[in-house]
Amino acid sequence: MTTLNTVAFEPTNKCHLPALLESYQREQRKTLATTALPTRKTESWKYAAKRLGKLTELPRVDTQADTRADHLANHQNHYDLACQTLVIANGEIVSDLPDMSGLSFKPFSALSDAEIKNVTSGIVAEAEDMPISALNSAHFEQGIYISVAKGLELETPLRIVIKHNGHGTSFPRVYVDLAPQSKFTLIEELQVSRESGAVDTTDSTEVSAFCNQVTDVTIGSGAKLTYLRMNVDQGQVKHVGATGFKLMRDARLETHCLALGSELARHDLRVHMLEPGAECDLNGVCCTKDRQLFDNHTSIEHIAANCSSNENYRCIADDHSQIVFNGRIHIHRDAQKTLGAMSNKNLLLSSNAEIDSKPELEIYADDVKCAHGTTIGQLDEEEVYYLKTRGIRDEQARQILTLGFVLEIVRAAPVLAIAEFWEQSLAELLSFEG
Amino acid sequence: MAVLEIKDLHVAIDGKEILKGVNLKTGPGEVHAIMGPNGSGKSTLSQVLAGNEAYEVSGGEVEYQGKNLLDMSTEERAREGVFLAFQYPVEIPGVSNLQFLKTAMNNIRQHRGLDEVNAAEFMKLARQKIQQVDLDPSFLKRGVNEGFSGGEKKRNEIMQMLMLEPKLAILDETDSGLDIDALKVVAEGVNALRSPERAIIMVTHYQRLLDYIVPDYVHVLSNGQIIKSGGKELALELEEKGYGWLGIADDATA
Repeated sequence: MTTLNTVAFEPTNKCHLPALLESYQREQRKTLATTALPTRKTESWKYAAKRLGKLTELPRVDTQADTRADHLANHQNHYDLACQTLVIANGEIVSDLPDMSGLSFKPFSALSDAEIKNVTSGIVAEAEDMPISALNSAHFEQGIYISVAKGLELETPLRIVIKHNGHGTSFPRVYVDLAPQSKFTLIEELQVSRESGAVDTTDSTEVSAFCNQVTDVTIGSGAKLTYLRMNVDQGQVKHVGATGFKLMRDARLETHCLALGSELARHDLRVHMLEPGAECDLNGVCCTKDRQLFDNHTSIEHIAANCSSNENYRCIADDHSQIVFNGRIHIHRDAQKTLGAMSNKNLLLSSNAEIDSKPELEIYADDVKCAHGTTIGQLDEEEVYYLKTRGIRDEQARQILTLGFVLEIVRAAPVLAIAEFWEQSLAELLSFEG
Repeated sequence: MAVLEIKDLHVAIDGKEILKGVNLKTGPGEVHAIMGPNGSGKSTLSQVLAGNEAYEVSGGEVEYQGKNLLDMSTEERAREGVFLAFQYPVEIPGVSNLQFLKTAMNNIRQHRGLDEVNAAEFMKLARQKIQQVDLDPSFLKRGVNEGFSGGEKKRNEIMQMLMLEPKLAILDETDSGLDIDALKVVAEGVNALRSPERAIIMVTHYQRLLDYIVPDYVHVLSNGQIIKSGGKELALELEEKGYGWLGIADDATA
């Protein structure tokens, strides 16, 4: 058994974390020493485990101080949006902290004991079945703690650009706390690339850019978070991301994810409905081609009564690519009057593509409504024909219909500039020409 | 030269012969009505002309503006000016009416050697045409036929026809499922398109539509063949007497 005990990730001690956080990380590392690297026999890693490669042999990605300016200069702006931007590169905060009234930004090195407790008790932080995310907990060097003040309704979104550059692993870590009655829009954008500086090609180990990212969020009572997530880089990179949300009384969460494939791409999205009246609405579009993979896991824990969850994911796989949609809804015994709905529709564009859709409903309360539906199919030839009778050529008709399959969800993204950028990216990606 | 000339057309679907030797000649500026009971092959004829590959042409010829129509792909036919208003238009969520129409229009323009349509002009035209069929302009932004009522779908078909200005328009049971107001709107749309160079074929079960779009010729299709042709008075005769006097059993005329 390969364990997740790894010296390669030992901290460089560049920034000193508070003693409490350091001891937490020591505990985490101790646990990892006896935790196995997932294999294809690990249920939740069945399809993606082999793509982890020699994760434990990878070094921590080289973070040289002089690359700070490069990262800042090179973070790409793909869309025109009035927002504040925070850049995290290779796990380090490289931009100035945004100046947004009512919002506080604290590096993990400056956290109070109470704040540390929040970080270490987040959904992802506490999960016992997320071994790769546990690596982040054990090895993050610097994180950012963002607090949104009580009652603050922020119009301007905060955009966090999470960059990874070069061979090795990075462990970006974010914690967000929305105080009661606040309203906030958070955009997370992953930019993972393996090209940075000179890579020692004489080394027999594969060159691998591996971004292991965790964000934990608490949404206070009556607060509302709109969360948008995207990965804009594709190709020979790996990223495993996890986002956890705690929803308190009457909290609202709306998520929109654009998930594009890469050598290994995975996102775990977990929601805990902890108090009555909470609502979440999860939307996702996933699209892969070539030999890419996107391993997508959502999990909603209905712990309190009178909460509702709605989930809508659409996936398109082309060429030899693979998409996994694992949607879990767990309705606890006391979560009476829960309303749950999950829809996952999938489109296969090639006979070599694979989509594995697995709705996982566990219901222990007796007075709930919970519906789910999954479809996997190909383009409707009747629709193709209809477009052709209007003069549209076959190829273009198929392209329009394929894009149309996901556009409903893309266009529902509440930040217009992003919805447009997503639409444009998908239009390019799904273009069958050339 | 005839716009359309069908000679002894035989068509089968799933090995079953539906059209058993149809002959029809349509000149420019003419409006032809093809009537007949259910199952007579009316929709098959419409679909074959539009290029539905599910139907297999087992014999005969179709000449369109002097060219062999059956040799053309579905999209080529459309670009050459053939338009079919569907009996059951499909719903395509996620693809907006506007985007769809613009793509269609540009394909057709490109074929005719014209530049892409100017965005502002296109919008103006689309707004004008959608009002012409009495639909709210908000329908332009909606998914193609998505959540439209039966009548709205039919009006949307006519709207597309008005935008694309075909040389040969085939209306497949466009009157079915329409109330009298919608019927008038649809008829006005079709009448607006009547012109000396254009041919229109209306496929219908009932005479009702023909009160508003007066045809030059009426043909009765029965059991895969045109068994009687005449002027507009033939439609009135059918309305009065049903299909029975022609020796056709019509279950649906009730």
